[in-house]
Amino acid sequence: MPDQPLQPFAPPTALFEKLNLSSIISPAAAVEWALYAVFAFWAIYTLVAIYHWLKYSHASWLAFPAMGVHIFISLCLMSYALSGNGLFLAPFLP
Amino acid sequence: MKEFELGPDEHVVLQARKHWFLFLTELLPYAIFAIVPFALPKLLALAPPFAPYAAFFDYTSITGRALLGVWLLVTWTSAWGAFTRYFLNAWVLTNQRIATIKQRTFFVREVSSLLLPRVQDVTTNVAGVIPSLLGIGDIKVQSAGAEVEFTMRGIPHPEQMRDVILKYVSAEPEKVTVV
Repeated sequence: MPDQPLQPFAPPTALFEKLNLSSIISPAAAVEWALYAVFAFWAIYTLVAIYHWLKYSHASWLAFPAMGVHIFISLCLMSYALSGNGLFLAPFLP
Repeated sequence: MKEFELGPDEHVVLQARKHWFLFLTELLPYAIFAIVPFALPKLLALAPPFAPYAAFFDYTSITGRALLGVWLLVTWTSAWGAFTRYFLNAWVLTNQRIATIKQRTFFVREVSSLLLPRVQDVTTNVAGVIPSLLGIGDIKVQSAGAEVEFTMRGIPHPEQMRDVILKYVSAEPEKVTVV
């Protein structure tokens, strides 16, 4: 077992250049599209859950507050991911 | 409740869900996931060989912030999904039957009913220190037909639930027509 201390590996900043992807899509655009993909998945999951809430718990007083809180907090987190503005979550986020 | 139509003389006596403490234990992994991105850099900084890796957790950069936002979004959404499943799983006692609603996953839902006149035995089981302190336990309801057995797991105050079931089992049989 080597006795050398661990060295931090370099983040793959040149990955796009090595793979010659920079001519196809920029890293910033790739991050943006990855975020859109995550948000699309979130939207589908949320729609499915809301469908269940409305179909099976429509009579409960908790249904709409639960959906409202979920959407509000999710939008704050999305806003943070996209722009750094976490709205009311800002004091808790770096 | 839309899972079943109540009869003309039927009304809901009570609904029960899993005890809140058990729900909180289900949320614990999500809480740990949410804390990881904040705690990991601090923990890495404490261990000298790994200290340089703490610099990777830079949430002031656009990419770091986006990754943190996505991580928290996925964790939050998963926790909310767990709450949805917790809430949609319920036991409903009416004056004529017991209904169990099991939402195993989204789009996998099971609703069963047991008519009260068919109830033959109701057993409660509270085992362990925390369940005893918090009043968490199981109820097993057995019907006259040996093939039907309902078990409610981790419900609050099972003894009270049992007493209510037995009260309606003994009070209502003559009013119910078994099909």
